[in-house]
Amino acid sequence: MKSKNLQKHSYTFMLLGLMAVVLLFFTILKGPMLWKGDVWRGIAMQFPEYGVVTLGLMFCFICGKMDMSFMALGDFATIMAVRYMAARADAPAGGVILVGILIALGIAVVGGLINGLLVSELDIPPVMATISMQLVWTGLSVALTSGNTVKGLPALYTEIGHRYLLGFLPVPLVIFLAIFALCWFLLNHTVYGEKLYMVGTNIKAAQFSAINTKRMVVGTYILCDVICCIGCLLMVNTMASAKADYGTSYVMRCILILVLAGVLPDGGMGKIGNVLIAIVTIQIIATGVNMFPSLNTYYASLIWGGLLLVVLIMSTRMEGGLLRRKLFAKR
Amino acid sequence: MNNAKLKRMTRRTEFYMFIVLLLLCALVQFKSGGKLIALPGVFTRLNVTVLRTMVVDGMFAMCSLVVMISGGFDLSFPAIAALSYSLATTICLNNGWCASNPLAGFALAVCIGWVLGMLNGWIISNFKLNTMIVTLGTQTFFTGISMGLLKLKEITSTLPAGMKAFGKLYIFESADPASGIRFTLSAMVLFLIALCAIVSFLLNKTMFGRALYAIGGNEVSAERAGYNVKKTKFLLYSAVGAVAGFIGMIRVCMESQSIPKAMVGKEMTIIPAVILGGASIYGGEGTVFGTMVAVGIISLVSNSMLILGIDTYWQQFFNGLVILVGVTVSALQAKRQKH
Amino acid sequence: MSEYLLQMTGIDKRFGGVHALDNVNFAVRPGKVMCLAGENGCGKSTLVKIISGVYTRDAGEVVFEGKSIQHITPAEATRLGIQVIYQDLSIFPNLTVMENLAINNEITSGRRIVNRKRWEQTAREALSKIGYDIDLYAKMGELSVADKQLVAICRALLFNAKLIIMDEPTTALTKKEVDALFKTVRQLRDSGIAIMFISHKTEEIFEISDDVCIMRNGKNVFSGETKSLTKKDFTYYMTGRELEDDYFVPTNISKDPVLKVDHLTWNGKFHGVTFDLRKGEILGITGLLGSGRTELALSLFGLGKVHSGAVTLNGKQVRITSPIMAQKLRIGYVPEDRLTEGLCLRQPIADNIMLASLKQLTRTLGTIRHDDVFNKANEWVKKFSIATDDARKFASTLSGGNQQKIVLSKWLNNDLDVLILNGPTVGVDIGAKQDIHALVHDLANQGLAVIIISDDLAEVVVNCNRVIVMKDGGIVGEMTGEKITEENILEIIR
Repeated sequence: MKSKNLQKHSYTFMLLGLMAVVLLFFTILKGPMLWKGDVWRGIAMQFPEYGVVTLGLMFCFICGKMDMSFMALGDFATIMAVRYMAARADAPAGGVILVGILIALGIAVVGGLINGLLVSELDIPPVMATISMQLVWTGLSVALTSGNTVKGLPALYTEIGHRYLLGFLPVPLVIFLAIFALCWFLLNHTVYGEKLYMVGTNIKAAQFSAINTKRMVVGTYILCDVICCIGCLLMVNTMASAKADYGTSYVMRCILILVLAGVLPDGGMGKIGNVLIAIVTIQIIATGVNMFPSLNTYYASLIWGGLLLVVLIMSTRMEGGLLRRKLFAKR
Repeated sequence: MNNAKLKRMTRRTEFYMFIVLLLLCALVQFKSGGKLIALPGVFTRLNVTVLRTMVVDGMFAMCSLVVMISGGFDLSFPAIAALSYSLATTICLNNGWCASNPLAGFALAVCIGWVLGMLNGWIISNFKLNTMIVTLGTQTFFTGISMGLLKLKEITSTLPAGMKAFGKLYIFESADPASGIRFTLSAMVLFLIALCAIVSFLLNKTMFGRALYAIGGNEVSAERAGYNVKKTKFLLYSAVGAVAGFIGMIRVCMESQSIPKAMVGKEMTIIPAVILGGASIYGGEGTVFGTMVAVGIISLVSNSMLILGIDTYWQQFFNGLVILVGVTVSALQAKRQKH
Repeated sequence: MSEYLLQMTGIDKRFGGVHALDNVNFAVRPGKVMCLAGENGCGKSTLVKIISGVYTRDAGEVVFEGKSIQHITPAEATRLGIQVIYQDLSIFPNLTVMENLAINNEITSGRRIVNRKRWEQTAREALSKIGYDIDLYAKMGELSVADKQLVAICRALLFNAKLIIMDEPTTALTKKEVDALFKTVRQLRDSGIAIMFISHKTEEIFEISDDVCIMRNGKNVFSGETKSLTKKDFTYYMTGRELEDDYFVPTNISKDPVLKVDHLTWNGKFHGVTFDLRKGEILGITGLLGSGRTELALSLFGLGKVHSGAVTLNGKQVRITSPIMAQKLRIGYVPEDRLTEGLCLRQPIADNIMLASLKQLTRTLGTIRHDDVFNKANEWVKKFSIATDDARKFASTLSGGNQQKIVLSKWLNNDLDVLILNGPTVGVDIGAKQDIHALVHDLANQGLAVIIISDDLAEVVVNCNRVIVMKDGGIVGEMTGEKITEENILEIIR
């Protein structure tokens, strides 16, 4: 029984090992510098924004679908929200912020709905549908802002974002943890999560088992895009503004984290715990690289890309070739 | 027989795309008061600009097309191009090469691209991994090399003179009759035409090209039929890498600058265009003609915004809309055919 | 020159601990059709792969045209004139007929440049071998299965084939298409080519073959002329026992029908289908591929279309528009294709069993406990003796029969009035087949109304108290009780 458990969690152990190696590597190179409170506070401040986005995208991947539009949609939603908030600088900030957030989430719901309908009703392959939607949303953002940064956020917004709960928990981290808990609960303890894995594994069999697969797909896209949008709202907090291309660089990073965590877009696979480990590992690398004054942030992507390739190649040996299969099944 | 041929033709996506392109041309021509095509000279300021934008996009689209025909998905070619051209120009600059002609730069870029493409090819053919995920990894990796490890800098005014001069070569020159502004048709268009011809020949007239279609159609059958699938894939990805390096260098010459960041996200505009042109993401489908028509539509839309009375900031939105509609129509068509 | 084209003696093959082929002997005569028959998993495909050079034999002798062949590779097999037409036909759906015909030849001859004229010539030559005419520029993927098959045969003939092996070629063909295929097969046979025909359908084997070799559990239990066999012998050899099926005896048929179907029509698929079904009955619906039997089932389950006609359930007229609604109306459906429609292979057995009845386990706020899923599923695992030590293992770890039991329990876990079984024992081994049949009998006698859709006539005869025969989308016959025999059904079906 014990060995079976070990086997069941072998991927988790591999990821933890990877994290340990990364930590060890930077500890050897930088020594005690890595273990200062400031460094870890920085880590805790930085990963929540794309961590939340990754959690959102995870639902799409488990469902066996792809979303390329989540960041473009998130950027558009936050632009609209910030524009709204900026235009009402004289009104009470609390109410304005609340409405602004609701606007952003509302747009995310609409975007998710469109994605879901394109995929489930019109049968457009998810990659094609969402790449197109990505261009549309980015196009809208650029058109409305003329490509400029949207500023004028109420001071309260960034102030809340930089507060600490109980004196040591940054608010973004609290939000991330709350969403993580919610996602964990959804995936592991609800009927929705149970169905999601089954739909992702074989959508046709699920349909033949009297599961409303169309509703599942549309719902999952909406859930994915709403959670991604929350991530973008955290990004607004960091940047104190919104822009059409803030999220662009995160698209590939989020996919990379998920693949690293073993959540493949083929569907029905992956555990949320592994995603958390992967997110933190990726952030440790970024932070570690930042500690070398001579290295720029792109050095991190070198390590990320290399890591992904190595993990991919290694996994062809260990996971019984799970990663080998084609992404797009022939119709 | 003739009837059957016509029927087959009308079933293809590129046929409709071509009609859309013609309609679009007519619209722009009418709206602009004959600025798209002017007789007797044919070339106008507008259409040489459209052609100019088509050069790099069109050539990248060719790379993406061949990979998609084989049933793969390449996200890494812009990163390969970026790393090849920035590294090649930096080396040329440091050694004082390319003062009179850009040959050394091109040779370097092609070689670097080739090596990078081989890495793609090696992983994909040996480990039979999902191509999209592998190329996502190599894309990140290559970007990391060019901007993190090597810290390649932007090269603008100091670009070797040979490259600058090469990019300014033109095959046609004229002046706008109304404003008197001089305009030229870049000689780089010839490379686009040449690449299209080569890819078209490769796809239709060589066993290698047919192998790509065969593998995209049914990989197991291709293996049973006697194709060396592994070798074909390796060759394909390494060749795409080399060509991407070449294209990157063309871009450097045309723009008279080498910016390592310039290619980020390029794949997200090229791949939809290729899909719009009738290539299937499931592999086995796609033509040079269809792809070029789609690239033409997108270039035309983005360059004639002003003429159509649309703010240029809306350009991206309309590009997206065109692609969304195209993708939807072809998906609906496929759905109809299935029933 | 010996009497035989291909002679194999004492062939042995092991995969790890599995003895796939155990001292198999058989021979193919030139200009004859030889049938290789046997249930699923009896070693037929392993044998074919040894002949075509995909696998190497562990022991035994292969003699082709009087010469002993030591080592066969795929290329060597082609050179000798052995061609295999696999079940998936190895075609390229995205290429034209011409390219499909010529491409193998071009690759083998090591050409690098495409010459359309030569390709067309090759293609025409291939088609002329059996006098088959088709648009060379049509796309392969748009042809019917029968046409695809003929193209595959033509392609095989290009290599001067002396022996053509066809792996279950009739699976996806309608009766008419089977007849056309058999015509071609006879034509080839008469021109001196040996055909090895792999099948498990009794009727076909007796219709087409000169010789037959029957395999069971990796051994060949019979080889000789088809003429010397009776159908009874044949079944005995195939299954290894005298057919002593328990015929279904209905004991609990209700007075009023639970399901009434009145002139149901799905344009182009089936039309004017009328029947009723009582509790405690097992109704068989049979017919050839393309007769509309599967479409009828899909319509009753909410996945097909209904253009006209009515369905009445327990006296109330209903419109079934989705499986969800069908489930609410207490209709269950076990689909035809277990692997793509019935199971999530990469998920645990337990979750598969509970997939259609998660509502039962739902607690407040839509939560669910995995222990509940596991425990409830384990009841079914025990009840149906599904062969697994842990229901948390993936469904893919089970054999066909046990997988089918999962799909069955998935639906039986719901409270059903009507259960539709489409091809319930396709690809299921004999033991499990008997289990499933016995189970269905019990269910019916407990008051469930069952529809069995099947083209396996023996199955229909044994298990149904009433049979409807469909042809070209309409009902062409109905029989009950004693009148249900294979002969009677066959008479109407043609």
